[in-house]
Amino acid sequence: MTSTALNLNYLQAKKGIFSWIFSVDHKRIGLLYLYSLITFFLVGATLGVLMRLELLNPGKDLFEAQTYNQIFTMHGVIMIFLFIIPSIPAVFGNFFLPIMLGTDDVSFPRLNLLSWWIYIIGAIMALSTLLFGDGPADTGWTFYAPYSVKTGTNVTMSVLAAFVLGFSSILTGLNFIVTIHRLKTPGMTFLKMPLFAWALYATSWIQLLATPIIGITLLMIVAERVFGVGLFDPSIGGDPILYQHLFWIYSHPAVYIMALPAFGIISELLPTFSNRTIFGYKAIAFSSLAIAFVGYFVWGHHMFTSGMSGPARIIYSIMTFLVAIPTAIKVFNWVATLYKGSIDVQPPLLYALGFIFQFMIGGLSGLVLGALATDIHLHDTYFVVGHFHYVMFGGTGFAFFGALHYWYPKIWGRMYNKLVANIAFFILFIGFNMLYFPMMIAGLMGMPRRYYDYLPEFHLPNMISTFGSWVLAIGLLLMLGNLIAGFRRKREKIARNPWGTGITLEWQTLSPPPVANFDRMPVLPKDGPYDYDHKPEIKE
Amino acid sequence: MEHTSAFSLPNSGHNRDAEASKMGMWLFLFTELLLFGGLFIVYMVYRSLNPESFLLASFELDVAMGTFNTVVLLVSSMTIAMSITAIQTGNAKKSIFLLYTTLGLAIVFLIVKYFEWSAKIHHGLFPGFEVYDNLPPGESLFFFLYFFMTGLHALHIIIGGIIISVVIYRTKKGLVNKEKYTLTENAGLYWHLVDLIWIYLFPLFYLIH
Amino acid sequence: MSHTKDNLPKEEQVHITSYKDHFSTLIALLLLTVITVVISVFGANLRSLSVFTALLIATVKVIVVAYYFMHLKYDKKIYTWLVLIVAILFVSFAVLTSIEYLNR
Repeated sequence: MTSTALNLNYLQAKKGIFSWIFSVDHKRIGLLYLYSLITFFLVGATLGVLMRLELLNPGKDLFEAQTYNQIFTMHGVIMIFLFIIPSIPAVFGNFFLPIMLGTDDVSFPRLNLLSWWIYIIGAIMALSTLLFGDGPADTGWTFYAPYSVKTGTNVTMSVLAAFVLGFSSILTGLNFIVTIHRLKTPGMTFLKMPLFAWALYATSWIQLLATPIIGITLLMIVAERVFGVGLFDPSIGGDPILYQHLFWIYSHPAVYIMALPAFGIISELLPTFSNRTIFGYKAIAFSSLAIAFVGYFVWGHHMFTSGMSGPARIIYSIMTFLVAIPTAIKVFNWVATLYKGSIDVQPPLLYALGFIFQFMIGGLSGLVLGALATDIHLHDTYFVVGHFHYVMFGGTGFAFFGALHYWYPKIWGRMYNKLVANIAFFILFIGFNMLYFPMMIAGLMGMPRRYYDYLPEFHLPNMISTFGSWVLAIGLLLMLGNLIAGFRRKREKIARNPWGTGITLEWQTLSPPPVANFDRMPVLPKDGPYDYDHKPEIKE
Repeated sequence: MEHTSAFSLPNSGHNRDAEASKMGMWLFLFTELLLFGGLFIVYMVYRSLNPESFLLASFELDVAMGTFNTVVLLVSSMTIAMSITAIQTGNAKKSIFLLYTTLGLAIVFLIVKYFEWSAKIHHGLFPGFEVYDNLPPGESLFFFLYFFMTGLHALHIIIGGIIISVVIYRTKKGLVNKEKYTLTENAGLYWHLVDLIWIYLFPLFYLIH
Repeated sequence: MSHTKDNLPKEEQVHITSYKDHFSTLIALLLLTVITVVISVFGANLRSLSVFTALLIATVKVIVVAYYFMHLKYDKKIYTWLVLIVAILFVSFAVLTSIEYLNR
């Protein structure tokens, strides 16, 4: 019933680099993001491995303290602003949100392309500090005043880069909100939307409403550096704690920009590989909104030891514990989804299970930090570093890899070697836990973060941690190598629904999808997006 | 099947969707509000820490000029709202005239602002001048916030002016007309936002007596 | 294709505000401006009151602009809700921050 022109998939439709970098097709823009993100991720990961090498033994191993400071700042800026904030929304959100909603593009396709270009400009600005000016910033990715307004390194450029990247994030969020409101296929209501779309909806609101605050704060840092006024410098009347307030008003909700889309991914993976409906659809959908909302009011828990007032600390601590409720609701629902499902252990599911395990450790250690008394002991120790990486890398990072393995056949119309993918997962999993768990122990023992040297009693955990970083690096290379090798495997026709049990709309179209996303009208399951009892039959 | 030759989805991102454009504009306005919101929080904190200095410093500002500019912006808000009424009723000529009026008022606002700023700079109340550097911390913060916030606001006036010029151009070309006037509406929304921010800036800087 | 190229359903009636209504709105806004200036310039002995009243009047003005000029009155209710949520969010930021400063 379809002509050949319609079967032309989005990868073949046009050739040449310009057909990609100026494409307004959301699928191509998603891939543009993917390739740029992976590049920056590898740069950031290399910096991370270098830091671990320096910390293998006490004392100076590889570089000067100043160089170490610049490396961990660069690692943070790249991983936070260039990788993990855009990660899942920009890649998989762009690619799959319109398909899951049953439409052919986002509401503002050209704005979407613009946001990728802004991202690239911001990335170039961030990386340019390596080559130009007085060296990359040495402040840590938080750019805390007053040091950030006084240090001689090129903080101005790094800060402007973060400002520009914020615009890209805002535009993506804006685009998704309007798309979700306006372009759902007829018959799909908010409560019949896939949970990934719900997660993106909540995330987009945070991107939209929190990012401007950091934008203006970073501009104030620049103004302070250029004009030398006392906005945040206490020696000329400013208040550095005000900077911390403004910074965390954005940067705490930003943690949910990083985490919520990952929750959405997990909520997609589990029904597919358990071959049954998700448990507690509404609970998962609304808890995303609840996390997004409550998450706005907990920023003070980053500042318990900054000299904040007592009553404020108590308020922030209570609010922090409140966020744990909707998050736990999600975890319980995921586990309940697996219960009595007919589980098909495939590489994406392994990543989802790894996510649940690691995210639990990350989340629960977060409560330890959210409690006032324990935080005094653990603030600015390696416990925080461990906690943060468990949530961000063990959580969002693993969800990102899981999504990559899940949608790989849909995106490229190829398949990777599943055995190698499984092996790579286990190496990654072992390496990850070896790298970050000892950090928590070192933190409990009292090792402070952001130092290039440490006392001899912290040697053992640091050694294990560095060995872990090597295992993790091997796992990463094997995983990426396997995915890249997948492109070169003999071309086989990939079915519309290669996992057999996918139920959301992207599995009803061709793999890879045609330019207009669908070659025939997608059919919605009768009762909600995960209605496995009335699964629409998918003809090839 | 009804789609024999070509298949197209009922809801397409490539369709013209006036409601989506309006929603996008509102969402963008929210980001603008919070951008200024961050500055208002800074203002609030420093004013509560230095109430006397802020009071003293605010006497340097010219209430008459501030009031004049407030009236200018309010009138311009009305003219751009009227230009939407005009285009909705199919009177493109009147719409263009009202848009030109708005643009003219924007320029008047900027000229007044220019005189205000240059008077302050003439008195050395700008970072880098000796007078400014010797001010007590509270007062120097007040003046810096004054320049930063009204400066950012003025930048928005300039951007608004550019947007209005685009609307005028497209209305002249007939691309904005009785059926398609989303661009005029969105320009109006943006212009009203500039007005909204000024409504708060005015009492906070000029009227703390 | 017979598909409509407009996603906007046809039954949505567009409300056109009259010039007279716009003019009345302006008069209201100008009156409020006069009140603020008069209070602040001539009521200097009411200092503690004036910050509050100035902000209150400014907020009334903002509501008038948003409601009539920005068409919230005639738009879908969702826009009013969104504006309210954003306003609440900003006020909470300001309140939470000031709680900390007031208790130092």
